[in-house]
Amino acid sequence: MKTKFLGEEMRKSVLAAVLLCGAAFSFPSSGAPDAKPAGKSNTSFTGATANLAPNDPAGQWTRQARDYANTRYSPLTQINKANVGRLRVAWSFSDGQMYGHEGAPLVVGDTMYLVTPYPNIAYALDLSKTGAPIKWVFQPNPDPRAIGEACCDKVLRGWAYADGKLIYNLLDDHTVAVDAATGKEVWRVLLDDVTKGPTLTQAAFVVGDKVYIGSSGGELGTNGWFQALDVKDGHTIWKAFTNGPDDGALIGSEFRPFYPWMKGKDLGVTSWPGEMWKQGASAPWGWVSYDPDLNEVYYGTSNPGPRTPSQRPGLNLWSSAVFARDANTGAAKWAYQFTPHDEWDYDGVNENVLIDIPWKGGRRKVMVHFNRNGFAYTIDRATGEVLVAEPFGLQNWAKEIDLKTGMPVVNDAAHPVVEKKVTNICPPDIGVKNWNPSAFSPRTGLLYAGVFNSCMDLTNHIVQYIPGAPYDGMEMARHAGPGGNWGEFIAWDPVAGKRVWSIKENLYVWSGAVVTGSDLVFYGTMDGWFRAADARTGKVLWSQKLSSGITSAPMTFTGPDKRQYVAVYTGVGGGAGVLRRVGGFQPGGNTLYVFSVDGAGIGLGTSQLVSHSDVAAPVSVPPAAAHN
Amino acid sequence: MRKLVAAFLLTATSAFAQVTADTPNPFAGKPDAAETGHALFGKMNCAGCHAYDLTGGMGPDLTDSSWLYGGKPGEIYHTIAEGTPRGMPAWKDKMTADEIWQVVSYIQSKKQ
Repeated sequence: MKTKFLGEEMRKSVLAAVLLCGAAFSFPSSGAPDAKPAGKSNTSFTGATANLAPNDPAGQWTRQARDYANTRYSPLTQINKANVGRLRVAWSFSDGQMYGHEGAPLVVGDTMYLVTPYPNIAYALDLSKTGAPIKWVFQPNPDPRAIGEACCDKVLRGWAYADGKLIYNLLDDHTVAVDAATGKEVWRVLLDDVTKGPTLTQAAFVVGDKVYIGSSGGELGTNGWFQALDVKDGHTIWKAFTNGPDDGALIGSEFRPFYPWMKGKDLGVTSWPGEMWKQGASAPWGWVSYDPDLNEVYYGTSNPGPRTPSQRPGLNLWSSAVFARDANTGAAKWAYQFTPHDEWDYDGVNENVLIDIPWKGGRRKVMVHFNRNGFAYTIDRATGEVLVAEPFGLQNWAKEIDLKTGMPVVNDAAHPVVEKKVTNICPPDIGVKNWNPSAFSPRTGLLYAGVFNSCMDLTNHIVQYIPGAPYDGMEMARHAGPGGNWGEFIAWDPVAGKRVWSIKENLYVWSGAVVTGSDLVFYGTMDGWFRAADARTGKVLWSQKLSSGITSAPMTFTGPDKRQYVAVYTGVGGGAGVLRRVGGFQPGGNTLYVFSVDGAGIGLGTSQLVSHSDVAAPVSVPPAAAHN
Repeated sequence: MRKLVAAFLLTATSAFAQVTADTPNPFAGKPDAAETGHALFGKMNCAGCHAYDLTGGMGPDLTDSSWLYGGKPGEIYHTIAEGTPRGMPAWKDKMTADEIWQVVSYIQSKKQ
């Protein structure tokens, strides 16, 4: 890509838009669904495996992605291809909050834990009793001023359980820990000033005695950070700013990026004009993963601020990047910037799924990352070397990722222009995939992801920094890509860098996935369908229409009655709201659905005579907050 | 910016206190007001929440008939100047009274 950052305005012309319309789209290579003989066998498509530490009991789901590696793989097999067609609602639960629901329930022992979007109310449900009654409710009452600072709905992507506590973020920049047995607050710490733009929407991630928190606010001119808090009392153990001087970013002698263009002193300052890094966002609002052998945490950073790139010539490190850090000290080990000098809002915060793959006669410890920019990266997680970078959906902003340099080769016609409409840039700001987490099966060796098929017409505007106000500048019209379907659900080979199968969907597939030991993969759609597909063939085996669209993450667990259940939150929202005027988009909602074979279990049947009047009253059930 | 602050101090201080829900827009009928307001809408990052076409995003749609805090010119003025408890920032320290009225003119011109 050489030095394409300076003087970019000069290269752009009215012709650019015309040329771009005629430019070849870069489609992913794809095998036909029936072209894979491995479909009915028990063999892996790729030979990829994963360390499933901390190896929780099979029926439990104690962290958002189930394991440190972020596989979202459940070994449960009671629900299988033969009986999945008999899945019915066993019970459901509405929490009354109307913002987008993005997290997965946790099940620890006999208790299910849920947290709503703003105002971030926590519920514990007793799975050992008929109807799963409320054990306790915790109302943290976050500052309502946070509502106006959260860019993409007032969401929460998940919550964590550790050390007898439920730990999660409040939209107003607090992290809170609640006694999981009683629902009483144990500690609450303030991590930033919400009136200046930052919010907390990230799913807290716990390893051992530390909980890892990343800030949100890519569109608000924030100064993004990531920190480790002590699970016991919430105090900060280490904190790393994304941008700025090396000291604040915890970049020191241990830092060894693979590619030379990311080596140098204080690049988090010098790759920006003046002091613009201070409002350069690069907020780590996505997922965190952890390798217990290397003792490293991995997480990505958001787009740079402002979103208008001509105002910030330079690489804008460390925006749209991934960091590997020592889990104990925070010291940066390596980084890789997916989209240097991001011009399209291609955040780098999506999940990094840690797997081990066969590679050139040996094996490599890698991470697989589906980037907003449309490329799926398989990266050596010990070194930061990119092994595979192939498009997993519709994109035309880059010709390729040059594996020698790690740099994208940008299509000249994809550069935005201030006060001029550039048409048909793919993908639009929200990417080919957003934060909605993929799943990995060690049985099939494949990843499963909801993806988007769309493009944008983009007009850029010059913006000024005003604390607490958006620092943005992108005006967009998004449209569906070829085929007219906005979304797909795909299976991906992370070694070959190609699709194995795909299922077309009307709208963006903005739901996470879970894949099980019986080779079933579950996902939801924005038009309200919850589906189970054969993980080997992509054949849909079961679908259930629910009350709202699904932009959360499904999970599966074994109840105290030894029965396997599958659970998913409905409540379309978050960034998916960009399609709110497209046909099929559902009204919001807030209902958790729990399924079992024939709906059997603790919430259905002629013998269910226990009513809620028989169980102890929870602390208080809050009224539904008004929708903003 | 210094000029804006000076203008604010000299001419606009009392105007903030006097605006009520029924105060008419002093720029009503002035042809340039909506256009000036349009420029301010972009410059002050209003579009970041309410979108460049005013149909909303982070913040509410300003083109429909639903007004959380009132849709009369004086009420819109008040919302911009004072902000709201649920996240709209107060702009009275960053814009003059005339500028706020011009943004009101622009919003009124886009009502469906």
